[in-house]
Amino acid sequence: MRAQRMRRTPLSVILGLLFLSMAATSKCLGKYHELLLQLQRQADLMQDTSTLLDPYIRIQGLDTPGLKEHCRECPGAFPSEDALRGLSRQGFLRTLNATLGLVLHRLTALYQDLPEAQQLVGLNIRGFRSNIHCMTLLLRSSSEAETPEPTQPGPGPTPPPTPPSDAFQHKLKSCRFLRGYHCFMHSVGQVLREWGESRSRSRSRRHSPRRAPGDTAPSGPCRGGARRMWPFRRDRRLMPRGHLPR
Amino acid sequence: MRSMVDDARIPKPGFWSNWSSWEEADAQNSLGHDPLFVFPKDKLVEEGSNVTICYVSRIHQDNISCYLEGVQIYGERLDRSVSAFELKNVSFIRKKGTNVFCKVDQGGALGGIVLFVSKVLEEPKDFSCETQDLKTLTCTWDPGSDTGLSKQPSQSYTLFESFSGKKTLCKHRNWCNWQVAQDSQETYNFTLVAENYLRKRSVSILFNLTQRVHPMTPYNLFPKNVRATNATMTWKVHSIGNNSTLLCRLELLAEGKVIQQHNVSIKVNGEYLLSELEPDTEYVARVRCAYTNHFWKWSELISQKFNTAEAAPSEAPDVWRNMKMVSGHPTVSLFWKPLSKVHANGKILFYNVIVENLDKPSRLEVLSIPAPARSTELTLDQCSYQIHVTAHNNVGPSPASVIVISGDPGNEEVESGRVNGTEDGFSVSWKPQSGDATGYVVEWCDGPQDLPCVLQWKNLGPNTTSTVISSGAFRPGVRYNFRIYEISAKRMAHLLEKKAGYLEELAPSDNPQVVMSNLTSHSFTLSWKDYSTESQPGFIQGYHVYLKPKAGEQCPPAFEKTVLPEDSVCCKHTIDNPEQKTFVVENLQPESIYEFFVTPYTSVGEGPLDAFTKITTPDEYSHILIRIILPMIFCVLIVMIICYLKRQWLKEKCYPDIPDPYKSSVLSLIKSKENPHLTIMNVNDCVPDAIEVINKPEGSKIQFLGTRKSLTETEFTKPACIYLLPTEKNYSGPGPCICFENFTYNQAASDFASCGHFPVTPQAPPHQLGPLTSPENLLKALEQNYMNSLGEIPAGEANLNYVSQLASPTSGDKDSLPTNPPEPALCSEYKMQMAIPLGLASAPPSENSSLSSATLLGQGEHYR
Repeated sequence: MRAQRMRRTPLSVILGLLFLSMAATSKCLGKYHELLLQLQRQADLMQDTSTLLDPYIRIQGLDTPGLKEHCRECPGAFPSEDALRGLSRQGFLRTLNATLGLVLHRLTALYQDLPEAQQLVGLNIRGFRSNIHCMTLLLRSSSEAETPEPTQPGPGPTPPPTPPSDAFQHKLKSCRFLRGYHCFMHSVGQVLREWGESRSRSRSRRHSPRRAPGDTAPSGPCRGGARRMWPFRRDRRLMPRGHLPR
Repeated sequence: MRSMVDDARIPKPGFWSNWSSWEEADAQNSLGHDPLFVFPKDKLVEEGSNVTICYVSRIHQDNISCYLEGVQIYGERLDRSVSAFELKNVSFIRKKGTNVFCKVDQGGALGGIVLFVSKVLEEPKDFSCETQDLKTLTCTWDPGSDTGLSKQPSQSYTLFESFSGKKTLCKHRNWCNWQVAQDSQETYNFTLVAENYLRKRSVSILFNLTQRVHPMTPYNLFPKNVRATNATMTWKVHSIGNNSTLLCRLELLAEGKVIQQHNVSIKVNGEYLLSELEPDTEYVARVRCAYTNHFWKWSELISQKFNTAEAAPSEAPDVWRNMKMVSGHPTVSLFWKPLSKVHANGKILFYNVIVENLDKPSRLEVLSIPAPARSTELTLDQCSYQIHVTAHNNVGPSPASVIVISGDPGNEEVESGRVNGTEDGFSVSWKPQSGDATGYVVEWCDGPQDLPCVLQWKNLGPNTTSTVISSGAFRPGVRYNFRIYEISAKRMAHLLEKKAGYLEELAPSDNPQVVMSNLTSHSFTLSWKDYSTESQPGFIQGYHVYLKPKAGEQCPPAFEKTVLPEDSVCCKHTIDNPEQKTFVVENLQPESIYEFFVTPYTSVGEGPLDAFTKITTPDEYSHILIRIILPMIFCVLIVMIICYLKRQWLKEKCYPDIPDPYKSSVLSLIKSKENPHLTIMNVNDCVPDAIEVINKPEGSKIQFLGTRKSLTETEFTKPACIYLLPTEKNYSGPGPCICFENFTYNQAASDFASCGHFPVTPQAPPHQLGPLTSPENLLKALEQNYMNSLGEIPAGEANLNYVSQLASPTSGDKDSLPTNPPEPALCSEYKMQMAIPLGLASAPPSENSSLSSATLLGQGEHYR
């Protein structure tokens, strides 16, 4: 497990630095397919629990029977996969960007607990958001006439105002938050993959909720538990031709 | 509840206040909405403490379990909803705290706490302060374990000086700087206080500032004026205060060891002349300094490498020689050992070899041999030579090593002895021969005998008569040969003694290849003459001959019974002469199986137990049989082969088809014994007086050639006869023909064959006659008739008949055959008889006639 994490760490650093440099130079990939592929790969990388959740569980001593099973995602903390799938592309990207902004904020609070991992994941998230920005620009340029979609309110990561919790509760909450984050990135990866698949399908099925047969997306970190449908508006506008692939 | 003042200004021990009155609290109501409440929350304790943990459940359930780091703990139930657990001697697990939680077994409700167990704060160890420049004090200590937790930061360190009343919070865990006051405070009393949430620890020291001076490391250490045997070292130090003196120690190291040590008092610049150095040697000089006023500590060391200059080699090379004759000329191989580093005084570049003829004045021959060569070869004549060898480096030559070679090697045959090897080597001793020896040399080869010799030698003084030869190359089980030479006053070497020995003798590693010979019914001979005793891993003392007789048989007289390692019993004979390499095993039983095996032995033991060789002694008569029967069989075979190859000749000699009277042995017999003038009667030589003609009453069953009729079918009205011709050879006309009876002759055949005529039956058409006149037709007819006759001859009659071979001188002309009918007058010449089947009685006559066409055609010459 540790060795696996060690192998992944340099990759995370490289990707993070790459994306950071892209954001810094404000140069976006003009090709939809390449950008989408990058987003998919980033989502796959960020859903990997060995980058964040597993070290956290180990450091906090939560990897004992009786505690492990209580580190499950809080329902409603993050938009569900169905809710994401129901969004328009612009809406999806806005929601994704906003959610990751909150995640980044929350991760900063976890710095004491996971100094190294938090830094790497922070880089990844910033790189991912940079690509979201590029994809948003690409979609916007290809659909100038599109009605601006209001930004969805921030999802669950903002904790409700509760009295300060003790260390035990804090450990469990942070653990659940991290699992929710990985699940969310898994869902994001699924939706992004469907974006790529939808090019070969009919336009009316562009946002089909069904998974394509033979989908080889990595298995997600979310197991069991009903996920609440995020009440996003279903806006299924077609993408203009010429810029977006078919 | 009660309270107590906790202030450093208040001397301890303090006093507790009185207890407050009891207050009643409803625990369940204070839980809020959680079904399970565990406390104390986020408790911080020291390692080894005892901690009591309670849980209060809102629902009264019995199936609540509590765990410490996943391991269930059992406590005391205070009432239906409250239980207490006492954790004794808790230990530090992780900085993130120890997890203690309780949960309802089936409901899934979970409550827990994190117990922060801190390591016990240790007292700082090795606390000390020192200064390098009398301006700043640096205090250091060993902090011990870090007591930092999520709940508690690492312990802090504060430095407090009691005389000045100043204190400073240290930024580092194990050291802290303190600025020396300008008011020339000399004495300092420092207290170091380590503190965390749970405990304080402190340690104090009192010292005088000038007694804690630890100078900084010297710098700029360099060699100056480096020569072969001396060098000057210079360096600098950082000044301490005003006009302070430092004591510096300069050390010189060679090969990692300190060989010189010098103390130098300096203020800023240091310098020292190092002498008694070795040429061309690498040295390391290092310097450290201390405060002279009061020694506290040496500064850190500074080191510098340097090499002294080269000098001429200080010693002559150790030279030895090996003489041998090559193509009738004495050839000297000169060897020398490389000079040691101590004596080489630099890198040896080449060796000079100067050859001087002692017998007649001649020019010196000088050879320059580049290093690292260690030998050279000189071809000399019968004169004596003096050879000088010098080693040269960049600076100059070494003293010369002189050796004298005599042109006449003389008779150097000396007796060989043995030398014993020990752990230290070979202890070689010798007896001096002459009193004017200037020294001795022991030479040997470092490797085994079967490898090229790496000549080694050892020079010894004139009063030495023994030495121990040791070498790392010596191996057990290898024979080493030592030669001891005496060096005369003329520097010539004479062989004194030869010694051979083993560092450690071993048992023979292999056995000889034994050849068995002279096998008889009672003995056989074993020999192993190819076995070399010189190249064995020990001195061969003899051989053991093992013999396994057949079961139940006693050992032969020269053998004794012994038991082999594998517990088998056999007979053993010991040969105690290593040069005896044959042995006759005698007194054996005929027709018995014996197994033998020969192995050498040394002082350590005998050779490996190899497989026995099996032999079987023959019976007592077998050799006779072999000597007689085999030659007989061979002779018979030879005779049979000769008979087969000469069967034709034998046939003619012994049982010819037609006996030749001239070749008859009877004739020779008669000639030799009775009448030497007796000859065989020749018909031509005879003049017949009277001829008796006897009629042959019965006909013969002779098939007549060409008519396809059996002779029985033909009525011979004429009697069988032979025509008697005149003796004159020039007779050509027809004449009277006289017949006489010859029972061996077939008349019909004679009529045909002897005259070359084909009787033509009246019924025969003319065309049947024609073809037979040519040899080809004749051949065809013969073949056809032969084939027919083979089919028609009865089995009982298929024997040979003698056919008269009378040839007419004129009938040989085949062209006359059709035109000249048979004329009896031409049949008077007697020809050799031949045997042919009865049906082929018409074949032409020939001495070795057969029925082949080639023979028939060839015999045509007889007709002419």
